[in-house]
Amino acid sequence: MTTPATAPNAFAAVSPLLTRLAAERATGALLRDRGTLFLEDGRIVHAESPATPGLDVLLTTGGGLAPERWREAVDRAGARRQVARFLVDSGGLAGGELEICHLAAIFDAAFFALSPGSGPSRFRRGATHWIGSVRSVAAAAVERETRRRRELLDAVWPYPLLDTAPVVPRAAAPGQTVTARQRILLEQADGIRTPADLAWVLGRPAFHTLLDVRRLAAAGLVETPHSPAPPPVEVPLPDWMTQAQSPDVALLRRLRDALEASL
Amino acid sequence: MVNVETALKEATTLIEGAIGAALVDYGSGMALGTIGGGKDLDLAVAAAGNTDVVRAKVRTMELLGLKDEIEDILITLGSQYHLIRLMKGRTSVGFFLYLALDKKRANLAMARHQLKKIEAELEI
Repeated sequence: MTTPATAPNAFAAVSPLLTRLAAERATGALLRDRGTLFLEDGRIVHAESPATPGLDVLLTTGGGLAPERWREAVDRAGARRQVARFLVDSGGLAGGELEICHLAAIFDAAFFALSPGSGPSRFRRGATHWIGSVRSVAAAAVERETRRRRELLDAVWPYPLLDTAPVVPRAAAPGQTVTARQRILLEQADGIRTPADLAWVLGRPAFHTLLDVRRLAAAGLVETPHSPAPPPVEVPLPDWMTQAQSPDVALLRRLRDALEASL
Repeated sequence: MVNVETALKEATTLIEGAIGAALVDYGSGMALGTIGGGKDLDLAVAAAGNTDVVRAKVRTMELLGLKDEIEDILITLGSQYHLIRLMKGRTSVGFFLYLALDKKRANLAMARHQLKKIEAELEI
């Protein structure tokens, strides 16, 4: 398996602490304001963020896993920290499906946990997560993907206010169609729910919902909120433009005299 | 248990003429796993770009009012086949397998059949 190719600007670290912990091959939990990354030998094995639905919501609401199955797995294997393995061994979920969902959840939570201005970071050495081991991802790959996602959002429709504002649908233009996936999202957009709220309702990763909302706004199917216009800045004009001044008679005379003398 | 890595390995070793394969998250355009490719075919870039291909086709089907699902999409180049197979599992909706094949060595019907099998293995 190879990791995605290096982006040209992949050298600016998203989190210098994460880079250092990865180099040290540290094990533990990296706690930031908007989420937590769990590391094992310097590789990311799990991530969660209050900004995005967890693996439980993605699997149950989004993936059709019976909630009882999830609860049973947490009850019976949580203390042993082997919830993931229990889900697969008990036949609740295919191994491949769990892995795919878990990977999607890691990158989704990491996007928010590593968001800029996410405050100070702390590292709790030795901490592990009860989900247990599924797959691990190189920290550098997570950082690179986080950066790609930020750029993608702005490439689609550069209005970051959309990410946190309530989603307000607009009527489609004549002949304009929406896809089934978009329709499901728009049906839940009641003018109060934010993209994060919609992600929970739909059981979809929050980043995917941000991206869908930006695309819908770009297509005019969702209102684009505008920040209040900044107050016009008054640039004072220089005096010579605003004030009529009497001509400098002495200077004009000297000029005339000089011109006549040179004739 | 078949995981993403073994599934992709299978795709590139069992399928005749395979150049590279990726498992792609349609919602974000990210490759969850890639194998092969090399300098001539950047699979991470292919993953992101091909989500646009899938989105365009889905939109076209809505425009046409076709109440059907896409099973796979074939793109034929001068020297390669690119095959996109949308996953159908309960939890794997929103992901697709992407396979690039060398046209001279590939058997298209066989490749489609094998890719279908690999997809099924990931979901059982």
